[in-house]
Amino acid sequence: MTLSRRGFLKTTGVAAAGIAAARWSIDAAAYETWISSATKNELGDIAIALAKKLGATYGDIRINRYRTERISTRERQVQNVSLDQTFGFGVRVLVKGSWGFAASSEVTPKEVRRVTREAVDIARANAERQRKPVQFLDAPAMQGNWRSVFEQDPFEVSSQQKIETLLKINEAALAVKGVGFVNSSMAWVNEQKFYASTDGSRIEQYVIRGMPDFTVTAVDRAAGDFQTRNSLGGPQGMGYEYVRKHDWVKEAAQAGEEAVMKLKAKRITPGKYDLILHPSHLWLTIHESVGHSTELDRALWWEANYAGTSFLTPDKAGKLQFGAKHVNFFADRTQSAGLATVGYDDEGVPGQKWYLVKDGLFVDWQTTRDLAPLIGRTQSYGCLHAQSWSDVPFPRMPNVSLEPGKEDTSLDQLVADVDNGILIYGNGSFSIDQQRYNFQFGGQTFWEIKQGKITGMLRDVAYQSRTTDFWNSCDGLGGQSTYALGGALNDGKGEPPQSNAVSHGCPVARFRNVNVLNTDSKDGGAAGAHVC
Amino acid sequence: MLTEREAKKICDTLLKLTKADDAVVSVRESIEGNQRFAANAFTTNGSSRERAFSVTVWIDKRQGSASGTEFEEAALRRAVEQAENLAKLSPVDVEYVPTLSQQKYKPVNGFVSDSAEISPKWRAKQIGSVLDQCDEAKVVGAGLFRSGAFTSASATRHGNFEFERSSSASLSMTARTPDSTSSGYGLHSHFDSGKLDIRGVAQRAVDKALKGRDAQRLTPGVYPVILEPQAVGDILGFFRGAFTARNADEGRSPMSAPGGKTLLGQPVFDSKVNLYSDPWHPELPGSQSAQDGLPAEKLHLVRNGVVENLVCSRFWAQKTGKRPTPGPVNFILESGNKSHSLAEMIANSQRALLLTRLWYIRMVNPRTQLLTGLTRDGVWLVEDGKIKHAVKNFRFNQSVMQMLAPGNVEMVGQSERVGGDGGRGASLFPALKLKAFTFSSESDAV
Repeated sequence: MTLSRRGFLKTTGVAAAGIAAARWSIDAAAYETWISSATKNELGDIAIALAKKLGATYGDIRINRYRTERISTRERQVQNVSLDQTFGFGVRVLVKGSWGFAASSEVTPKEVRRVTREAVDIARANAERQRKPVQFLDAPAMQGNWRSVFEQDPFEVSSQQKIETLLKINEAALAVKGVGFVNSSMAWVNEQKFYASTDGSRIEQYVIRGMPDFTVTAVDRAAGDFQTRNSLGGPQGMGYEYVRKHDWVKEAAQAGEEAVMKLKAKRITPGKYDLILHPSHLWLTIHESVGHSTELDRALWWEANYAGTSFLTPDKAGKLQFGAKHVNFFADRTQSAGLATVGYDDEGVPGQKWYLVKDGLFVDWQTTRDLAPLIGRTQSYGCLHAQSWSDVPFPRMPNVSLEPGKEDTSLDQLVADVDNGILIYGNGSFSIDQQRYNFQFGGQTFWEIKQGKITGMLRDVAYQSRTTDFWNSCDGLGGQSTYALGGALNDGKGEPPQSNAVSHGCPVARFRNVNVLNTDSKDGGAAGAHVC
Repeated sequence: MLTEREAKKICDTLLKLTKADDAVVSVRESIEGNQRFAANAFTTNGSSRERAFSVTVWIDKRQGSASGTEFEEAALRRAVEQAENLAKLSPVDVEYVPTLSQQKYKPVNGFVSDSAEISPKWRAKQIGSVLDQCDEAKVVGAGLFRSGAFTSASATRHGNFEFERSSSASLSMTARTPDSTSSGYGLHSHFDSGKLDIRGVAQRAVDKALKGRDAQRLTPGVYPVILEPQAVGDILGFFRGAFTARNADEGRSPMSAPGGKTLLGQPVFDSKVNLYSDPWHPELPGSQSAQDGLPAEKLHLVRNGVVENLVCSRFWAQKTGKRPTPGPVNFILESGNKSHSLAEMIANSQRALLLTRLWYIRMVNPRTQLLTGLTRDGVWLVEDGKIKHAVKNFRFNQSVMQMLAPGNVEMVGQSERVGGDGGRGASLFPALKLKAFTFSSESDAV
């Protein structure tokens, strides 16, 4: 059954409000009538019954709608305003120890039957040549209806209001003398997910994520130089309240000042420095060196062809001193405002919290129902996720965060104990090897520390280290008052590649004696590199 | 599969539904299948069919866009109304350029229907054979087989309509020795699945893994290098965006020059370097249309080391009085003179590092195009014209501008297809022998 938009406006009177015409709430309401929970359950019943009949020992169907609003601007003009949505379903089956997955954007009973048969055919074809049948944990049936925590649904805020905010951000940056360009944007994502499985689970979830963003550019045309300063905010698992709670306009003005300042900033002399890393920067170092290295699928070489493996081999759990004694990393799919926070993962396992590194010791992994049994576990931590209805779910990272120190140590207190160091804000260039040993990170702004005081801005800074050397060199953690979440909407992994949204919380932290490069030097940042 | 007639009907419906002054609408369909394997066993896979449409409208030069995957007329109507409502709420699009009137396209030949119709049984059999190769060689294999067919069509308020199909198939594989001391990589992609060299991919990965054992440490620093075509593709994949005319004119591009000038017409690169796009290249068919549906043309970005074209959008062309650039729609690097084989490059090296592949490459300095990343899946020391031994991996920090600078490119190989797996586009790149390449630190990764 369908309800035309005209009909909806007539029945709700929203049309009289005028500016509400572009709100997604219209769509949300139309969607509820387009395909109801009852219909989704009926389609789920068809897939589950057929999968069982065709010999699947496990089967699930995900019927999902993804809505995305994107607005992008530059200087005083809007470049793009778009509302995108994709709707479809995917069926996953386990037959004779092999997986089969098929998906379609045509959501009808007939197509659900065709796609379920196709998934079973794929699994059967593979089972004939499978050498290591999949081990899969049983899980209790779950019934749930979960919504992420947000105050204001961004799809119920007019695009006009969002455009006005972005243009204010641009004006604030352009008001700074020396700023040449500013790009700003907002992206809002809504996932409406339905899951049914042969376990008897029936789960619906409604997830909101958002990412306001900007980049300010200052250009020195005479010298042929330019510098940028990106927003430090980053995406959050929040509603439109994120736009109110973070002062984007104020930050844009500051970013303008800092972009201009970067053109004339002191160039870094390569060498060893103590680093104080702000949460707006450190989240990405955690993501790359801790988040990915503790993925069990990587440790078992399942991602060897693309994302890579991990230096953390299964025998190292409980034995390897990953970091200093006060370093504790936890995984958490229940964390407030976390981008990877969910009620349930894509195979019906509830969101949960557990330690990956405790008192500096590497203790545990990220697992799914087909990974956990391979290390003798009887329960999954719930890390299965697909970026869309059309993609097969596979192990993805939960929110992985660094616990703040027990004392409420401030940024200034950490800086006070540094003779020769650098304070870094924001994420810049980032790269790490395929086993997560060697990494290099840049940033947005760099501040010189001499004898416990911040003395001025630096430019062209990047640091290199080795994961365990780095985390063992951490000798100071800020307290709870310095703790903040950073994250990304587009963590790439898998083949074909999929994106995952994930957050990393951390306090400000201090690291001793880290190798720092000059990224504008003629030798490409390899300080003193000799010709071999 | 979506036919031209069906696509035209959907486009016509969308255009009829909008009362906007100007509009561009599109419909696309993808039919894809993939199968992964790892630890010498079948892992995940997928088969998907997705049909989607988009509509962009301008009302009084104000723009709005919407897209969806539901094709009932009510759903199309709703999307059109959403786009129109967004347009009404948006400020005037000062970069609006009217959509194109009817264009004439010279078709490209990048579609083979067999690639869209690969059965799960055939695929399982092929991967089963690859796993047999791994077992025989006592290595641990992981990889991806992927195939698909893609259809797209678009139409404008001003009368243009275009329809295009393409196909692709690829196999990539990494082989690791069970003791985790060595790894090798192979990849082949083609628009015709019948031309996919499945056994060859597996053999290359296995050979590299076996030959990469007993890798020795070398001090990081500046080395002469021989980059295999895949390594060239990995690093130059980041370079395409460097040729944007607007960024160069605005002073924020590697193609910007001091004093507000650009490097257009300057001999910035070695004279052996030719970078171009050719929609009709038989090994690398591109799209028949470039930006906004402009008919694509063969286009040199760099000819004999000289920057010949910067890529001008239709808006920037209008503003600066230039011609909008009909490309690039693919990326090809070739020598203007004689090409050399990999064996010749090795034989002509007194001391060099031979690199298979580069990984996790990120931009460090956009002005100098300084990139960082790591070597992966096979590094060897070449001395006195021969491969001496395997070497442990490095991190590099290297400017692409310096890498291709006059005098740094010593030899250029025969171009071949690289990339094209896992959704990443294929290119035609040769092996390169370079005088200097900077490695900044060692990596323990294998």
